[in-house]
Amino acid sequence: MTKSLTITRKDKEEADPPPLEILVLIKRLFKYTRPHAWIRNGLIMITVVRAIQLATISWAFSAVINGPIARHDVRGLVLGSLGFLALCVFTQMTMRFRSFWALILGESVIRDLRRDVFAHLQTLTAAFYQRMKAGRVINRMTSDVEAVRQGVQEVIFVCTVNGGQMVVAGIFLAFKDWVLFLIALSITPVIWYLNRVFRVRLSNSQRRASESFSRVTATVAESIDGIRVTQGFVRQELNAEWFRHLVADHSRYVLSMSRTNATFLPLLELSTQLFIGVLLIVGSYRVLVLNVPIDAVVQFLLMAPIFFEPVRVVGTQFQQGLSSLVGAERVFRLLDEKPDWTDAPEAVELPCLQGKVEFRDLSFSYLPGRPVLHNLSFIAEPGQTIALVGHTGSGKSSIINLLTKAYLPTEGELLIDGHEIRCVQSASLRSQLGIVQQQNFLFTGSVMENIRFSKPGASEAEIIEAARSLDLLDLLEALPEGFETHVGEGGVGLSVGQRQVVCFTRALLANPRILILDEATSSIDAVTEARLQKALGLLLKGRTSFVVAHRLSTIRQADLILVLDHGRIVERGNHAELTAQRGIYHRMHEQFVQNTTVRRGGEG
Amino acid sequence: MAQSSPTDGAIIRRLFALAWRYRWGCLRVLFFQGAMLALGLAGIALTGLGIDELRHAIQPNTPAPFWRFGLHPSANWTPMEVIALLSALVIGAALLRAYLDFTYRIAVDRLVQAELVVALRAEIYEKLQRLSFRFFDANVSSSLINRVTGDVQAVRMFVDQVLLQAVVLTLSVGAYLFYMLSLHVPLTLACLFTTPLLWWVTARFSKIVQPAYRQNRELVDGMVQRLSENIKGMPVVQAFAREKEEMARFQTANDAVYDQKISIFRKVSLFSASIGFISQFNQWILLSYGGYLVIQRSLPLGTGLVAFAIILQQFANQITTIGTIANSLQESLTGARRVFEVLDTPAEVSSVPRASPFEALNGPIRFENVWFDHGQDPVLSEISFEVKPGQCVAIFGPTGSGKSMLMSLLPRFYDPTSGRITVNGRDLRELDLDSLRRNVGLVFQESFLFSNTIAANIAFGHPEATREQIERAARVAAAHDFIMEFPQGYDTVLGEGGVGLSGGQRQRLAIARAVLLEPAILLLDDPTAALDPGTEHEIAEAMDSAMRGRTTFLVAHRFSLLRRADFVVVLDRGRIAQAGTHEQLSRCAGPYLQALKTSQPGALPAMIGP
Repeated sequence: MTKSLTITRKDKEEADPPPLEILVLIKRLFKYTRPHAWIRNGLIMITVVRAIQLATISWAFSAVINGPIARHDVRGLVLGSLGFLALCVFTQMTMRFRSFWALILGESVIRDLRRDVFAHLQTLTAAFYQRMKAGRVINRMTSDVEAVRQGVQEVIFVCTVNGGQMVVAGIFLAFKDWVLFLIALSITPVIWYLNRVFRVRLSNSQRRASESFSRVTATVAESIDGIRVTQGFVRQELNAEWFRHLVADHSRYVLSMSRTNATFLPLLELSTQLFIGVLLIVGSYRVLVLNVPIDAVVQFLLMAPIFFEPVRVVGTQFQQGLSSLVGAERVFRLLDEKPDWTDAPEAVELPCLQGKVEFRDLSFSYLPGRPVLHNLSFIAEPGQTIALVGHTGSGKSSIINLLTKAYLPTEGELLIDGHEIRCVQSASLRSQLGIVQQQNFLFTGSVMENIRFSKPGASEAEIIEAARSLDLLDLLEALPEGFETHVGEGGVGLSVGQRQVVCFTRALLANPRILILDEATSSIDAVTEARLQKALGLLLKGRTSFVVAHRLSTIRQADLILVLDHGRIVERGNHAELTAQRGIYHRMHEQFVQNTTVRRGGEG
Repeated sequence: MAQSSPTDGAIIRRLFALAWRYRWGCLRVLFFQGAMLALGLAGIALTGLGIDELRHAIQPNTPAPFWRFGLHPSANWTPMEVIALLSALVIGAALLRAYLDFTYRIAVDRLVQAELVVALRAEIYEKLQRLSFRFFDANVSSSLINRVTGDVQAVRMFVDQVLLQAVVLTLSVGAYLFYMLSLHVPLTLACLFTTPLLWWVTARFSKIVQPAYRQNRELVDGMVQRLSENIKGMPVVQAFAREKEEMARFQTANDAVYDQKISIFRKVSLFSASIGFISQFNQWILLSYGGYLVIQRSLPLGTGLVAFAIILQQFANQITTIGTIANSLQESLTGARRVFEVLDTPAEVSSVPRASPFEALNGPIRFENVWFDHGQDPVLSEISFEVKPGQCVAIFGPTGSGKSMLMSLLPRFYDPTSGRITVNGRDLRELDLDSLRRNVGLVFQESFLFSNTIAANIAFGHPEATREQIERAARVAAAHDFIMEFPQGYDTVLGEGGVGLSGGQRQRLAIARAVLLEPAILLLDDPTAALDPGTEHEIAEAMDSAMRGRTTFLVAHRFSLLRRADFVVVLDRGRIAQAGTHEQLSRCAGPYLQALKTSQPGALPAMIGP
């Protein structure tokens, strides 16, 4: 049940959007060759030269056979064959540059594509990353971009060379015997028709195949991330069974693609062979009955491959071209992914902040029609500590998402030092904002590099000073290699508490005006937490801070406590005021105090 | 992982063994290829015959057509009739060949894509899931993903692009050679004397390019790694406004791939041009020497020179596939190395043969002088303690003291380096691994949920569970109410890693997931870390009922939880520093009391008072 469920669900999720116009795709891809115009133009020239060369070589070969050899002229043979050799040398020299430049052009285009996609990814907002799996994005940057490369490196130029070769060979043949040439030409509409029929089929199965492939990739990625759970719950066999279905499903799509291919490509080749059969009988009739000279038949036989080979090659390239376009389409779709919002062009750069934050009648919803915050209004004066209290789902995280400008308010205003948050440049806001969450992401590299992440130019002394001012220096130095300890992706190699120590130091180093602590000390052991609490007292001083915490001690000292319930502020005030109100906060506080003291009291 | 890396020879032998599993499919494919080859040659011979027949008809002084195998038309046929027959035969051969080509392509793809790749992917995936955590600690996820996707395709290339192609190459080269030799021996030799040169150039090329490609793969891996980290860490990147630096970092990796590729391209383009020249040089010899022979009347023009030219062209095409085959071989070797590495990594932790199933827990769980290390400094040393059935033991200690590691030993995510853990007096390692893990319920510090429905996530360890069982478990974990708030309730689909839920909600689902199994042993690795005080209170009571009748190991640093335990083991740098009940520990000096003091300065006098 589980497996079928997941497969259909993902199908729905990716319900094919209408394919982009092929011409538009090609134009857009072509734009990427513009920065490398000299290579591109050189290539176009060289492909034309090569097309002429290839047809000429074949013509020269058959001309020598039909001329000097058929006439039994030794001197003519020597001259003709030397000319042929010279042509060969010239052709291969051109070939060398043709392939070198094409390879370079393809690689350059995908390098630029990767750069653009990466840059674009940096502008997308949190909502996008909630929708799109990391594995999928990676797939765009690997297999899809790879397909584009093939298209740029191979398809365009191979097709040009072959098309040109066909035209030039056609001219030679038409001059030789226009009746036979017309027969050859009459086959081309058949081929064109075959192309059209199969194009549609191929592109459909291709798209399905690559979609099902990214399902495979995403599943593997998730299985690796969740390996502890899988093994702990002994789900290996079930997952494997499930995965086998997924892979088999993918192979079905691949097979339907190959069935189309298997019909298409032999048919193309067949057309050449049919031509030879027809040529033989029609040519012979003309020679025997109409007394046309025989050399035209031989020339056509020898040059038939040159005239028809392009059809076969283009057929093969066609498939490659389609998968390139499918790849390109997927990459461009990602590039077209609009950030849910961008900074308005007239957005101002925030000056050095005082730290006044005001929520003015603000409402917010992630999904239209499902508001999670209702008409919030409150003011945090510079330097104040605001504690957010409430159950899971009461809206604390949403307030923080708004403060960091990960999302924009749906209605109402959020003012920072009087600037409406929509009208400020995100970077200038974030650079004055520090945030420590419960689960923080660390990057591959040393502890030192991870701390420096918040302030790229910081010296080692500065970093050590930051750690010292938080009284965490000894904890960092106690790591196996101190500040040089290697951290793996996501923080592998450090315990949760150690990661948090790094994140605190990282946040402090940025010297933010506004500080957000989102359940920041909850995963740290009591000893470290106590030390962080002490240090945070100093850190909070002079900064506006928003604290979501479990610890009453932090909340007690807050200048303003907001008690949230289902997205509304139900109580507000400082600890003394709220306790006196004897409302929700009071009850929560009682419960907490009871939890920590009740048994002790009974025993004393 | 770091085992001695096998030689190319050993890998090729294994790949052969893999291909052997599909020998019948391969034979079928080869049969089609052989038939197509024969039909192709027949077509060429028939065409050549047609030309000679024609020439002989209009110029009787040219040599008579040369019919093979004693087949020749009766003398009273007119040339036109003979040519009509020949042309019909050419068309017939072409039709048959097209049909065979169709069957051949289907057969290859079915063999490779539907059988081999599917089986191989399933095999690696299954293996990956059984590997011990040391393996995952040592390998980044992007490289592991690549092994199931790209590397498997590289391995299958060995079958269809290397092995089958090589046989096809040998067959067709042999057939062409035979055909040419039968026409004219010296001409054949003259036209083919460059072939050894071709081999030499190819061999040299692959020797130069092979390490370059390998290096390129590593560079690409590095770049993908940068990308993957950037995406996963995007909130941090954006929060610290580090987009520009990240772009620069990525561009460095991107450029490194590019620069290295260019140097490969320089070699590749030189190689392909020289190979192309060698084959054209052969044609030149054919033209000069063969032409001379025709002039001397010792070679027919159609079945001789023209057929020779066509066959030589195909011969050259086949020879150039050597380069492709060599490339594919390299690629498949690199891929195979990475695939086999996974398949060969021993699942360090596995059941011994004839392991006994986990029985009802009626004896104690005992840690007997347990040590553990990752090959360097010990993470745990001299751990000995005993838990009676139904007891709850709490593990307490500062960050990095080895709490999570100690917990990981019970479901045998790792095995102790020395010492042992016994259940009912039996070493854990003597028990059947799966049955042990089914009896250990787990709640991790950071809970991973799968992209699936809430119900399927709760029923993760027991997929056949009924909706009632799932709901019961959810109620125990205080998750039922918030689940019902979603429009789809239990059928709500979660995103990757369970995004869309708050930390607290995720944790409650994880507790429900563990409770559903009704495990004899419950491991709670700091489960309330993510919960706010109000919810913690709800959960604490839910946990009490979940823990009832179960032996529980609880990592916690909240004293409200620690107090619930029957006794507390205090760890410090991997050693047991203190052990006893909360009451005992709060009375004697030590790390526990110290932590208690610092965490609750206000509450302390009341306790010390009496």
